[in-house]
Amino acid sequence: MERNPYFGADFFNFFLVFASRIWGFATGTLGWNDLVSDEIQLLVLSGIAASSALVGTFLVLRKMTMLANAISHTILLGIVLAYFFSLRNVESIEGHGSGALHVPTLLIAALITGVATAFLTEFFTKALRLQEDASTGLIFTTLFALGIVCVTVLTRSAHIGTEAVMGNVDALQKEDCWLVFLILALNSILIFLFFKEYQLTTFDPALAQALGFSAMGFNYLLMVQVSATVVGAFRAVGVLMVLAFITAPVLSARLCTHHLHRLIFLAIAYGVTASLIGVALARHFLTSYDLALSTGGIVVTVLGVLFLGTLFYYLFLPQRTQR
Amino acid sequence: MEYALKIEQLNVNYGRTPVLWDISLAVPRGKLVGILGPNGAGKSTLIKAALGLVKPLSGSVAFFGKPLKACSGCVAYVPQRETVDWDFPITVRELVLMGRYGKLGLFHRPRAADRAAADHYLDKVKMLAFADRQISQLSGGQQQRVFIARALMQEADIYFMDEPFTGVDLATERVIMDLLRQLNAEGKTVFVVHHDLNTVESYFNWVILLNMRLVAAGEKDLHYTGEALQATFGKSISLLDEAVKLAQKKESGRM
Amino acid sequence: MLHYFTDPVLRAPTLGAMFMCAAAGLVGVIFFLRKQSLLGEALSHAAYPGVILGVILAALLGFSDLQEASLTSFILWGAFVTALAGLFSIYFLENRLKIHSDAALCLILALFYGVGVLLASHVQFTLTNFYRQVQVYLYGQAATMTDIYILIYALLLLVIGAIIWFFYKEFQLITFDRNYAQTIGIPTQFLDGILFILIVSAIVIGIRSVGVVLMSAMLVAPAAAARQFTHHFSKMLLLAMGIGAISGFLGNYFSIELGVSLPTGPMIVLSAAAICFLAILFAPQRGILWRMVRTARFRSRCQQENILKAIWRLGQGAGASLEHLKRLIGTNSVELAFNLWRLRVNGWLTHRGAHYELTPDGINRAAKIVRLHRLWEVYLVDYLGMGAEKVHRSAEEMEHILTPELERELTLLLKDPKQDPHAQPIPPAPFPTAEV
Repeated sequence: MERNPYFGADFFNFFLVFASRIWGFATGTLGWNDLVSDEIQLLVLSGIAASSALVGTFLVLRKMTMLANAISHTILLGIVLAYFFSLRNVESIEGHGSGALHVPTLLIAALITGVATAFLTEFFTKALRLQEDASTGLIFTTLFALGIVCVTVLTRSAHIGTEAVMGNVDALQKEDCWLVFLILALNSILIFLFFKEYQLTTFDPALAQALGFSAMGFNYLLMVQVSATVVGAFRAVGVLMVLAFITAPVLSARLCTHHLHRLIFLAIAYGVTASLIGVALARHFLTSYDLALSTGGIVVTVLGVLFLGTLFYYLFLPQRTQR
Repeated sequence: MEYALKIEQLNVNYGRTPVLWDISLAVPRGKLVGILGPNGAGKSTLIKAALGLVKPLSGSVAFFGKPLKACSGCVAYVPQRETVDWDFPITVRELVLMGRYGKLGLFHRPRAADRAAADHYLDKVKMLAFADRQISQLSGGQQQRVFIARALMQEADIYFMDEPFTGVDLATERVIMDLLRQLNAEGKTVFVVHHDLNTVESYFNWVILLNMRLVAAGEKDLHYTGEALQATFGKSISLLDEAVKLAQKKESGRM
Repeated sequence: MLHYFTDPVLRAPTLGAMFMCAAAGLVGVIFFLRKQSLLGEALSHAAYPGVILGVILAALLGFSDLQEASLTSFILWGAFVTALAGLFSIYFLENRLKIHSDAALCLILALFYGVGVLLASHVQFTLTNFYRQVQVYLYGQAATMTDIYILIYALLLLVIGAIIWFFYKEFQLITFDRNYAQTIGIPTQFLDGILFILIVSAIVIGIRSVGVVLMSAMLVAPAAAARQFTHHFSKMLLLAMGIGAISGFLGNYFSIELGVSLPTGPMIVLSAAAICFLAILFAPQRGILWRMVRTARFRSRCQQENILKAIWRLGQGAGASLEHLKRLIGTNSVELAFNLWRLRVNGWLTHRGAHYELTPDGINRAAKIVRLHRLWEVYLVDYLGMGAEKVHRSAEEMEHILTPELERELTLLLKDPKQDPHAQPIPPAPFPTAEV
């Protein structure tokens, strides 16, 4: 196996190597098979960041972020059941390089889980008359507990449960990029096509209905997109950390602008930047301090730092006109 | 003669009890109509039923002799202000642009011509200077004006406005009223749900007096009388309210 | 079953879980009523990095991973600090930046948790023995709790119970009507502070048994379940406490008794959730099942009253045959037969030959229904101005609904009318009251 060109690089050198590698890819001297783990991680994380920023914007604006949290919990059960029903050798959850085979199963599991979560929450709130926050909390914790029990029973090892929750960026392979970019493509197309519909149904559902757009339809579409995004992230950062990608970049960008399309681009920028810095830092810590830290954890921390930085800028910079 | 709005035997129910019944009226084009009535009398319900946002039990609504679906783009709606999230990241101009979304249809994005139109209407409501501001920075009156600009964008022939003068400063009220008179002069028909009886005389040339049933509808000079007002505002519907709520509880098993 | 409380291996997890879930239930009720049920979710995730920081600090200060008591206190204090930090951050985001609560909660949840994961990855290799301790707090590990935990959790329950009992009426008021409480001088911010400390304490101490990820369930499920049974604040608190305790027990019970060994934390959550769902379905008053029963009973009563009315209309002393009634009422034979039987059994109908006739009581009752029907028609037509052809359907509904009070009000309002809009006589009130 070829030596990883980033091996031995500290933070600064990482970017030097990265720049030269970009040149290599751009000019064609380097190809798909030359991708090393750092770059794979970067690609996957960027893909997740971009997808999350796209759906996260509308989630936050619709005040439905908790539903995303709920879906990211219930999807564990969905994935476990999907594997169970497809009668696959369950050890393959831990296996590598077989990501492509599982894509249709995963996506279907995501679809069903996402819609089911949204539907169940609405059912509990409307038909059973339970208040919304309690409905959400009850449903996702129950389904998640069920998921853990299933995982334990089916794999006889709670380690799997942990992996599903925390993911493992450092175990990503080239093939994992496909799922992430497929989902990113889907999200991009849908958001681009339906930008003004999403904007209108989020901002003024009454007018939307009067003009003939279905607010409920776009709600469920968004839930499907969120579920797909979470599934795409499941192997990399685990289900719980996707939430960081969904909320932090959007809230940071919100402090900077009040134009919706700029918000989306900025959020993507925040996410991708955090991914880049995170992967570089992971390499740096490994090189300089011999610490093998969780890349996912680093990236989330960087997202937090970026948010704080933006916050300071927003609060303390003098003569800042109202945004 | 083709009426701007013709309603025939409209009945809207809440369960099995009527909230609007026997509404029949015909409004010729080019009128400035005030819709008046006590709270809970069904004024907003009337508009919503006309726009298809609420399904009536029976009756028909026609705009220029055609149903709403066949008359796309001929009706514009300005809802009450509270229904909207004012912290949304959207500028004044972008909000006004939304008025064109119906015409643009799915997928299509606003073009330069749409943006120019938005600026034109913003100017009409004297809000052009605020075009790039975020909507949460506006006062109540300014918000209302922007909403009206959005409705103007639809370039419709009929406008429905739900309580546009509530919580609005005097300057804005004058601006809005001037606009409405201008629209009226251009031959548009404007319906305004109104709550201030003091200004009815000077604002409108047609009135609809509503208290779940139609008390009067017609030229203001003829129909805006003390008797009609007494019939509209004089009867309490609290008993009806109470009974309807009780019926709902019993039928859903909550009591 | 008793061995769960006595066996040295089982008693700590069982009793500990029971006390802890009871305490969580208590706190959960208050936050449920404040509509802040998801705060626990954010705070429990915010506690995670604190767990690890505590471990790191302990290691730095030279403690060994075997000194469990000391280690635990480091962990708890660490968790407490970061959870509190999370709380303040949420408060800041919501109030200063005007970020909506769901986004604020998710942001803090995700960021703190991510930092926790980062720290855990460090500890995993550098302090491997300590790492095992840290993992325990992710999903909880009730099974390895020792007797000392029984004491800790009992103490927690006692303290929380005492504080809630002490400030009972203040908590009740600020939960129900915060603004009013402020106007009469109650220190709302101080009491909020106490509540926040309570929830953070419950979470921090509780994550040992159910873990960070599932803790919020114990704050929501018992409260939601208790709500189905009562609307009294005090009863809700006691019920939630009880349901929490039962869930704690059942979780331990089922994790062992079901043949396969299942993780205790999730089983406790599932037990609580099961109780909650059962409560939603079967609780008296609010339960779905009872609602369906009441709806069916109401429908039955309506039909019975319609039968009485139909026979009454046929005229004095007339009876109706089964076929005639079937045509008049228009429902299926089973329902009709059932309602006829009920009417006979209760003394409103008698059976003479092939005909059903009204008893004197039946006549009175039928007259009353007709009176209500026609009074309502008068109200709609003469008072509110509705068209006479439109009112029948509404009156058909309302005749079964109007209470005696509403009837009195109507009679007064309409000045005791004698005829309805269809010129039909209105039967007088069966027991005339002096005021009319």
